[in-house]
Amino acid sequence: MAKSKNPSYASINGRAVLYAVLIIVAAYYLLPLILMIMTSFRSMDEIRMGQLIEWPKSFSLDAWSMAWSEVQIGAREDRGLRPYFINSILMVIPSVAISTTLGALNGYVLSFWKFRGSELFFGALLIGCFLPFQAILLPQSQLLGWLGLSGSLPGLILTHVVYGVSFTTLFFRNYYVNLPHELVKAAKLDGAGFWVIFFRIILPLSAPILVVTVIWQFTQIWNDFLFGVVFSDPSSQPVTVGLNNMVNSSTGEKQYNVDMAGAIIAALPTIVVYVVAGKYFVRGLTAGSVKG
Amino acid sequence: MAELKIDNVYKSFGEEHILKGISLDVTDGEFIILVGPSGCGKSTLLNCIAGLEDVTTGDIILGDTNVTYEAPKDRDIAMVFQSYALYPNMNVRKNIAFGLEIRKMPKAEIAEEVARVAKLLQIEPLLDRKPSQLSGGQRQRVAMGRALARRPKIYLFDEPLSNLDAKLRVEMRTEMKKLHQRLGTTIVYVTHDQIEAMTLADRIAVMKGGIVQQFGTPQEVYDDPANMFVAGFMGSPSMNFLRCEVTRHENDYAVQIESQGTVFQLPVDPKQADLSNYVGKTVVLGIRPEQITHVMPHLVSEQFITQVPVKIEVTEPTGADTLILARINDQECECRVHPQEAGKVGDTMDLLFNMSKAVFFDEQTEARL
Repeated sequence: MAKSKNPSYASINGRAVLYAVLIIVAAYYLLPLILMIMTSFRSMDEIRMGQLIEWPKSFSLDAWSMAWSEVQIGAREDRGLRPYFINSILMVIPSVAISTTLGALNGYVLSFWKFRGSELFFGALLIGCFLPFQAILLPQSQLLGWLGLSGSLPGLILTHVVYGVSFTTLFFRNYYVNLPHELVKAAKLDGAGFWVIFFRIILPLSAPILVVTVIWQFTQIWNDFLFGVVFSDPSSQPVTVGLNNMVNSSTGEKQYNVDMAGAIIAALPTIVVYVVAGKYFVRGLTAGSVKG
Repeated sequence: MAELKIDNVYKSFGEEHILKGISLDVTDGEFIILVGPSGCGKSTLLNCIAGLEDVTTGDIILGDTNVTYEAPKDRDIAMVFQSYALYPNMNVRKNIAFGLEIRKMPKAEIAEEVARVAKLLQIEPLLDRKPSQLSGGQRQRVAMGRALARRPKIYLFDEPLSNLDAKLRVEMRTEMKKLHQRLGTTIVYVTHDQIEAMTLADRIAVMKGGIVQQFGTPQEVYDDPANMFVAGFMGSPSMNFLRCEVTRHENDYAVQIESQGTVFQLPVDPKQADLSNYVGKTVVLGIRPEQITHVMPHLVSEQFITQVPVKIEVTEPTGADTLILARINDQECECRVHPQEAGKVGDTMDLLFNMSKAVFFDEQTEARL
């Protein structure tokens, strides 16, 4: 109080600097997106005649419908990104659901039903978090071959589930070790068994970490390109591969507006997930400090 | 309600031995307190009774059944935890009803039981609240309510009051005692607080190092401790331990103490100890602060009371009494005097040493003589 005659003034200055920095950084990250959106609304003629970076003189959604359902990608009959987009959805939903469920169960067992060697088991599982995608390509394709799942959606789902379980287990286990263990003891004395405790006590307390895991897994699996391109055939390729094939097509004119619209379409679901559940994401990451 | 018999229970985690042969017989309706410093195995023993931990060897018999190898849910035991362990996602009503639901009690009976418990513990207005909306004392009540609802054979309490503030703890202590008197249930209660142990228990088991040092009524444990550990652990301020030499005194024995350069003989009550083998040797005299008081004329002439002048080193007024720290045999000795009689620091003051309740310990083994 004694230091400054007007302490509120100093804090306003500090705020101003803070916001200025935040706005600059936000703009830096937003500019590419804005550019993409603007370009996607321009017509090819306009782009050809003018600059690549320019305000749209006209507004049309043609590029979007082109990218979605009209552009010829590869030699397939179904046009546009739509079939790829549907593949991605068919892949991502079961992958996220199964890997999250397994992670929650693993975390529950490793926190509350420890067995001889459970710490070792957890350690071994963690190694999975450090394995690069590239390292498992060959053995995984061999395995998928043996299982008869090569080039199919179930094969892709299996790959994503196995790869994701390490992460989901880590998330849930680290969240559960911070829950009071007396809760489980009390439930045991109340007569509850393994599943009743999981579904009635532990799962209802897991909302924050559930959101974190779902967002994490959804983003990872939706954005994955490597597994998608290696373990799929044209009928099961996800949208990342579709986008790549569309943009890298070496025949005909480069349609910047369609490429931009396609890229946004491919990124849209992850954006939606973040916007809808983003605040829970931050909350969930810090949820370890919350008391029971 | 049932009696509980713990028979020679051992519990080890690998090479670490937590319980080393615990045997306790608890009769029906008794309030038993397990007390001891942290790490003495009292909570482990409680978990073993509950079945949350397996015993390594030994038996736990509840009523007529040996429950040693039964799962917690089959033992018909309820437990109140230190952290209360209320289910955060359920309201108070659901918390109390959970155990009944699991045991497939009909809905109407559950509602009846919840109402009964809520009335008993006066938590009716809280029934629809979540645990996070309750104060510490209210959570404590709900935790007790959850235990009471099932009407189990035996109740276990694991330091249930230690998360409450001092005032509330004293209130809840009284309430718990009233509750036990009304319900007449068998209770095993763990605490590290010796005052809680003294005030609540029918019998106290003082534990240290995985061994029950003494199992007796509060007064027995207080007046007649089995060894120096029990003597020092029970009572606040704790018992004075003065090393002193044994001498012959008339037909009996006495211990010698020295204060301000003068040697005094404190005659030993033969009912308290037989020191015939210790003449000329050193023993540990255990004397509680309240046995060293200011001079009260009607006591001066009693047989085992000796007047000794001491120098006051520190005074600690507690309101009801003033504690005086004196130096005897070059060791610190705490004495409890009336506030108005207490002298100032540095003064010399006459004190009465009442040996009729004094106890003696072997210097090496710390066992009672």
